[in-house]
Amino acid sequence: MIWLLKLFKIDRRILFLLIAAAVIIPLVRPLGLPTAVTPHAQHLFDAVDRIPPRTKPVLLSMDYGPNVMPELQPMSMAVVRHCLARKIPIIVMTLDPNGVGLAEDALHRAALEYPDVKEGVDYALAGFKVGGYLVMISIGQDFQTTFPTDAAGHPSKEVPILTNIKNYDDIALVITIAGSAIVENWIVFAVTRYHATLCAGITAVSSADYYPFLQTGQLTGLLAGMKGGAEYEQLLANNDLSHAPKRASQGMDAISSAHILIIIFIILGNIGYFLGRRKKA
Amino acid sequence: MDRRIPLTIVLVLGILMILQFFIPSRASETFFTDIFVRWGLLLYIFALIPSVGSLIRHHWRKVGARREGWAYSIVTLIGLFVMILVGFLDREHVLAKVKAAGLFRTLFLNVQVPMQASMFGILAFYMASASYRAFRARTLEATLLLVAAFIVMFGVIPFGAYVWDKIPFISEWLLEVPNMAAKRGIRFGVGLGIAATSLKIILGIERSWMGGGGK
Repeated sequence: MIWLLKLFKIDRRILFLLIAAAVIIPLVRPLGLPTAVTPHAQHLFDAVDRIPPRTKPVLLSMDYGPNVMPELQPMSMAVVRHCLARKIPIIVMTLDPNGVGLAEDALHRAALEYPDVKEGVDYALAGFKVGGYLVMISIGQDFQTTFPTDAAGHPSKEVPILTNIKNYDDIALVITIAGSAIVENWIVFAVTRYHATLCAGITAVSSADYYPFLQTGQLTGLLAGMKGGAEYEQLLANNDLSHAPKRASQGMDAISSAHILIIIFIILGNIGYFLGRRKKA
Repeated sequence: MDRRIPLTIVLVLGILMILQFFIPSRASETFFTDIFVRWGLLLYIFALIPSVGSLIRHHWRKVGARREGWAYSIVTLIGLFVMILVGFLDREHVLAKVKAAGLFRTLFLNVQVPMQASMFGILAFYMASASYRAFRARTLEATLLLVAAFIVMFGVIPFGAYVWDKIPFISEWLLEVPNMAAKRGIRFGVGLGIAATSLKIILGIERSWMGGGGK
């Protein structure tokens, strides 16, 4: 009985070691577990896929920094890959000062995989703008005033993909991938005020907050956490649009084992709690 | 006397902003753009000056007084100035002349990104430890929460479908029905609270935003 109770008082350092092993082993030796696609991820994929090639662009706002990058960057990469593979113009911007480097990296890596795409024609990095929701309103008023140049300093009037963008009416779809509540600002200003079509990619921990917006139609599609990224990667592979390594899917193996371990911890903790209570009684 | 000036500005602009939302005209839109967007953006940019100044002052004083953790303050200040300098030189193509173009990007991707991602990754360890120690079925409500958490945790991982193929659907139902009902109620409450607080600020009833404890 005492040895059993000891099992329920495991030292914190042992828990940390077990979690480290549960995360690292599947990353080194991927399990390759298949990911089932949720309807919300499918809707986002379809919203992008429906846009005819070389027409109105997708505006991708990568509103996050390196802290949530492992969870959200695979989503951004998947969306960029989808657009480049289908020749759907894509404009990338960010409302997070740390997002510029990540946006630049995502575009740079994805563009290498599709050698026939041209910078300025198929994709552009509009860069970072300070102001949060004020930038969203400003885009609705006048895109050219909001982004007079792209991130490299070329005047927007001289960048083919940006030349004809006046406001949200000239953008086929807005996608925000964010690690904060900024998605709600996009809903309030871009969707409600300017009637833009919006999809979002968010961290798993905040996914429960956005279900009401899916039901009202204010969000057309949603990618939630690493699983959302894995679902999009799966859809790209199913449609033969990308053969790049599936980072989110690899990450899902690590998340799966960590979740299972945490569930075991909770069960052990509860058995220990009830045994302890019975002993006291 | 001097408190009346900010209160009057808030009253007038607050009422004008509410009115303009319900007036669909070009004049109303121009007013909104000029006052709200342009001024707001300017305020955002100017807010950077005191915030960076405050950061430098705080760490400079800490180093000067040799307070606990002062060495970390030196790292913060060096990091701040190095990134500003490298970013500026890189943008102006000065670094290209010494074959160091893209140094800012290299530092960002190889120093800042791994550091911030690691800090966030540490959360997994604390969550595992906390769930082991604190997540107990002490009451009926706690048990319901525990069962719902188990299902959602299993539902979002591929392994859940192996255990029972209905788990992802039950997980999705939990999110789409009970979760959404609760969230919607909370959002209505928050929305009404925001409207009430905004009105109190516009009408000058709530004055704590001016400092001095609202007196």
